[in-house]
Amino acid sequence: MIDISFFLVFSAILFGIGMFGLISSKRGLVTLMSIELMLNAANINFVAFASYGGHTDGMVFVIFTIAIAAAEVAVGIALMLNAYKIQKTTEVDKLSTMRW
Amino acid sequence: MAEIFDSLATTLVDTFKEATFVLPELIVLIAALIAPLVFYLTKNGKIVAAVSFALIAVSALVTMLLMHTVTYGVAASMFEFDAFSSLMMLLFMAVAFLTIMVSPCHVETTKHAGEYYALICAIVAGMMFAASAANLLAIFISVEVVSISSYALVALKKNDPRASEAAVKYLIIGAFSTALTLFGMSMIFGVTGTLDIAEISAIVPTMAANWAFIVGCIGMIAGYGFKIAAVPFHSWAPDVYEGASTPVSGFLATASKKMGFAVLFKIFFALFIIGSTGVFTLEFQYVFAIIAAITMTVGNVVAISQSNIKRMLAYSSVAQAGYIMIALAVMSQYATTGALFHMFTHVVMKGGAFIIVAALITAGLGEKIEDYKGLAKRAPLVAAAMMLFLFSLAGIPPLAGFTSKFVLFSGAIFVNGAVSMQWMWLALIAVLNSAISLYYYARVVKAMYIEKPACEDKVSVPKPFMVAILLCVIGVIVLGVYPEYLIDLCSKAATALWLL
Repeated sequence: MIDISFFLVFSAILFGIGMFGLISSKRGLVTLMSIELMLNAANINFVAFASYGGHTDGMVFVIFTIAIAAAEVAVGIALMLNAYKIQKTTEVDKLSTMRW
Repeated sequence: MAEIFDSLATTLVDTFKEATFVLPELIVLIAALIAPLVFYLTKNGKIVAAVSFALIAVSALVTMLLMHTVTYGVAASMFEFDAFSSLMMLLFMAVAFLTIMVSPCHVETTKHAGEYYALICAIVAGMMFAASAANLLAIFISVEVVSISSYALVALKKNDPRASEAAVKYLIIGAFSTALTLFGMSMIFGVTGTLDIAEISAIVPTMAANWAFIVGCIGMIAGYGFKIAAVPFHSWAPDVYEGASTPVSGFLATASKKMGFAVLFKIFFALFIIGSTGVFTLEFQYVFAIIAAITMTVGNVVAISQSNIKRMLAYSSVAQAGYIMIALAVMSQYATTGALFHMFTHVVMKGGAFIIVAALITAGLGEKIEDYKGLAKRAPLVAAAMMLFLFSLAGIPPLAGFTSKFVLFSGAIFVNGAVSMQWMWLALIAVLNSAISLYYYARVVKAMYIEKPACEDKVSVPKPFMVAILLCVIGVIVLGVYPEYLIDLCSKAATALWLL
């Protein structure tokens, strides 16, 4: 059986990629995708801990997380559309009428 | 009289069994579900507001009945109805009352009344669930219900560039905080093997120090730090409060922040206190203390340079979050009592200030501080109320802000019944910050009372606004002069938090 640390390292790398994408990308939709990666990294952790530790709670948690992530993205894309309709851009840098 | 209440509570428990302990939440949830239907049938925003108001009132009455008869219990081993959660529920419902009362006659409020009130009720229900949740899964889902609905609520001020921008920023930062929280929770689940908070608090003291626990705690501090707008996770708050319609800003500034604190109290007191000698308790206490000190300082210093009153109130509410975080640093029952009490006084003073800003926007004034010049002549009552709220926020006796700050800061000085030097510096920074804050509050008061107005026309404020402002004024004065009753409730709630 593979050691649990492989899963944890994998999920940590995935989380790091997501965080890098969130910080470096200027495009609104790409940030949503990066957040999705980060949520999935946490999901992998939950499933790994659940199956190695024998606690099924973790798997139940993942099902709820997937539903919540879907809701978040649905609302997120709607908000991006709204911003695009009004300001003709979803680039995060250009959405900066308010500062300090 | 007492027998009637008792028999009523018994009837409730007999009828609804276990569900009695989530009954207040369920009633508000029903309000959220029927609001769009009522709007579809009547096409009248005021009726929708009245229906949501009535259902939340019913829920508040049920909560008070259960609280009064001490009918506490657990539903589905997920939601614990106790002195703490019932008190927080009443706080959230009080904020909802004020918001729903002023929304129908506010100019910025959307024409889509069904969605608007449904979202407000959904947020309130989510907050109430979060306050009573006794399980990481329940906490996570409740907080997400609140977050996702808030993004939509901010964007509901349609065709406004600032609102659309604020909503996108709020979404990105909020979703990022969700991911951090979830990662932290997965680590805590990994080291303890359970999601139940009571079980976690039993396991933590027995385990050896390990990195996964630290990563878990940091993830949750960062994640919920975003929700309470603690520095350095505060950057969304001013933009969102400026961009959203003003009653919504007031709602988010007062209620959604308190939910973050309720959740932080629940999780971190369980992790660090209840098992008496938790791992890394002192280290994390210092983390909280440093975040608290930075939060109040940054909030107050940046607020000085603001010209938009909503942004100024937003930064001042960042600073207030810093004050409340003292309880997380000190981790004593007395400081927690002070923090809970400060949450209530914050609702009346900050909520009142936002309602006045909303009222003046409806009356045609701008959001800039210079628009408030000579307000004392144009609308004497409103100006006087605004002065009361601002002085209360700065902590001038005998107003509510002074009493609650007094209890909260003395919580940092008296630890376990004796004067302790450990957190003295934190109390000192907090007091200095209150002095700084007086500067920018006094600037608004100066504009209202001393400077000459640009025009002398009287400002007329709609009736519902006056009622809401009056309620907040009564709250600010009564809580300042006669705080014993509420402090007693808060202290019971703090005790319940300890016995979790």
